[in-house]
Parts: sequence; C-alpha cells; structure tokens
Amino acid sequence: MAAHGGLRASLLAALLLAAREARPEPAHEASPWYVPDHAAMQLAGAIGFLSAGPGWSFRDDTVETALLVGWAPPALAGEDFVTFTLKGQWRPFRLDAAGWSVRPLMVGAMLSYTVGDDYFAGLPSRYDRGYYWFRTALRPALLLGASAGRPVEALNLRLMEGYFELVATDYRLVQFVRNPATVNVELFTLALGVKLRF
Amino acid sequence: MRVWVTLLLVCAGCGAFEFHPYELRGTHRDLHARSLERLLGAEPKQAFRFAVVGDMQLFLDDSAAAMRDLEQRGVDFVVQMGDLTEFGSTQEYEWGVELLSRLKVPFFVVMGNHDALGMGQKLYRRTFGPESFSFTYSGTRFVFFDSNSREYGFPGDIPDLQWLKTALAPEPAVHNTFTFSHVPPGNGDFDDALVEPLVKLQQKEGVAISFHGHVHQYHDVQAHGVRYITTDSMKGRSYLWVDVDGTSVQVRRATF
Repeated sequence: MAAHGGLRASLLAALLLAAREARPEPAHEASPWYVPDHAAMQLAGAIGFLSAGPGWSFRDDTVETALLVGWAPPALAGEDFVTFTLKGQWRPFRLDAAGWSVRPLMVGAMLSYTVGDDYFAGLPSRYDRGYYWFRTALRPALLLGASAGRPVEALNLRLMEGYFELVATDYRLVQFVRNPATVNVELFTLALGVKLRF
Repeated sequence: MRVWVTLLLVCAGCGAFEFHPYELRGTHRDLHARSLERLLGAEPKQAFRFAVVGDMQLFLDDSAAAMRDLEQRGVDFVVQMGDLTEFGSTQEYEWGVELLSRLKVPFFVVMGNHDALGMGQKLYRRTFGPESFSFTYSGTRFVFFDSNSREYGFPGDIPDLQWLKTALAPEPAVHNTFTFSHVPPGNGDFDDALVEPLVKLQQKEGVAISFHGHVHQYHDVQAHGVRYITTDSMKGRSYLWVDVDGTSVQVRRATF
C-alpha cells in the first residue's frame, strides 16, 4: 500500500510539473487554448485528501476550468480513493489593492468520477432501468467560494492564489432541499487550495 | 502561521472537510454492541415495548418528527428497517445515527439496499457491526439479517440461510422470535430461489413476526404460520410500536 501511495503522490507531482513545463516561453506570447495556464492543488472537497491538476482560464481569468486527480489515503479516509474531477468556475469580479488581486465570488460546478469496482457509472445489469436515479461513481456538486493572490516573481508566477470553496455534493443538495432542518449547515463542506498562474 | 494551522485543525475537527463521500470516518463505531450493552445491562423487564421505523432515505425531517413522537411513547429500544440512507454516503449514515440518537434509547439498524451502495457495506460494519446478528431480551429473540439479494447480484447466500438456521435454533428460555430484514421475501429484490426455504425455516422455528421495509407501504399478513409485516417509509409518517409481555405480543401503528 505504501508503494501505491508513493506512486500516487509522484503522479500528482508529475501532473503539476507537466502543467508547469507545458507553458512555452516567453509567457507573453499567446499560447494555444489547450496549453494549461495554471495548476491547482486542493485539500479536501469530497474529491480526495489532496487533488491537483492543470487548469485553463478564459476571458481575463473570469471563466475557468480544471482537471484534477484526487487521492485520499487509507490512513485518513479508511480506504484508498482515487478520483478524476472536471471543474468549471465563474469569477465575475476582481478587486485589486495593495498588490493583491481578490476574486470575492466564485460560483461553479464539478463532476467527479471515483475509480473502482465498488462504484458504478452506468447502472449494472442486475438492476432494472431507473432502479437508482444516481450513479455512485459520478458525483456532481455545486461550488461557492473566493480567492486572493499576488504575483510571485521569484517563482516566475503571474499570480499565486489561495482559495476556499464551499462544496455542496449531490447527496447534500438533495437531502438539504427535502430536509432543511436536519441537514442545515452540513449542506457544505470546505475545500482549501492554491492556484499557480504562469 | 500558527493561526492558520489552528484554524485548519478546528475545521478538520468540526467535520468541515470531506475527503470522499464514502470515506470511513467519524466517531460512530460498533453502535449495535453499545446498544446491546445498554439494553442487556439494564434491569430486566417482564413487559417491554419497542418501536419499528421504516425507510428513512430522503425523509430525514419526517424521521425527526417520528423521533419527537416516539419520545412520548416510552419505548425501550428502536429498530430501523434499513435504507437509513439514499446514496449510502458517510454523511447520511451520520445524519441517520444522529436522528436515532435523539431518543436516548438503544437502537438497531437493518442493512438496506441503499445503505450497501459504494463503500456502504464497510460503512455499515464500521458504524453498527455485522449485518447478521441476534440477541435475546426478556425471553424474546431478535434476529437481524441482510436480505438485499439483488444488491449483491443474487449470490445465493443473501439472505444467509445457514446462519439463520443456527440463529433460529430452539432455545428453552425463548417465548417469542422476531426476525428483521429489509427486503421482504417474494419481492423482486429477494432471491427467488430462497423464498420458499426462508418461509419454511421461519415457520418451522416458530417465528412470530417477520418485519421488513423496502416497499414503503404498511402491510400485515399471515402466511405459512408467520406474520409478515412491512413498514411505511418515514414519508408515510407512521411507525409501529410493539408491546411484548411473555407470549403476548401486540403490534400497533402510530401516525404522526
């Protein structure tokens, strides 16, 4: 299991590095759309203890998408969980002050896929059509958050941003809509992360 | 820096972080063993009362109302008939346990098909204990087992009749036997090949009542010498309460 863990950790690192290396120099030249312009690394948020991956920004960083690989080790989650997550985010406002660039609002959505035989993305044949209306391997979620960052020239980063996200996964949303009194603030869990913008 | 680390630990401590929907986390462990300890550790009673509540799934606020109603009922313990959760997620297990814990009496939870989704089987075992278990309280035997055959692809040993045969074996001090499993025999999600053996076994061993959930509708029928009762889901805003006094058994349905 330890070797397993090491492999995953280096996979995460490799993804981050790949995103970093993929950026051609000099930076001011317009890159093709498929070249990532940032890398994200995140703690928690229902997609792993840690998750990381490349991201793409459009329209002056107001629209973003990211592809994250996440992992939760058995020591922290009782099982080995590996996820792939596609995120879409909209950050309509920007405030600049004292060298900081603040995005006070982020609304977004994500869809995560959990790897493994214990979960299904298509309904297995033992069930009739519509037996379960959701898929245990596929987890949609809504996101609400904010971020703040500043340039880090020593690392050649246009911006290093810290962010938080309130994550409302499908089962929390559905249970909240039907049972607001019981679910209450547990509609959300918290994710913290860093984005490195090249 | 220290402020951030402290904040992070506080966030982690209050459950603000979720690493995965099916993570095996939380302080609720082996709850059936603890329930049994409390139940069997208390003064034995000649007459006692227990409640049977149905599928909770997406009806948590209704379940909360059931718990409020049950507070007035003075039950010695509660049995939940499975489908405590809709998605089988860790958080839903926690909500279910939190709701049942409001009553301050021991409770037992049957394994439902929804509860077995994803890591559900491991979550169930971690939270409550094995799916098959039994105990005797004041001369009445309570036997719980997993009857969600379809969930495991009809493997042929769900329900586990070998285990059940042993659990139902005659014992001199037992006046009544009740069994509890989620899917009722004869339902399409119950292994067809095992319906007859189960029904015969329950008849042979003198099971008084076979309790079930799953169908979300209250039924009470006598078949092959055994009374088969299914509960409403919590959406149906009803539960059952059972008074046992020696060999006398009275089942009543409460609406709230």
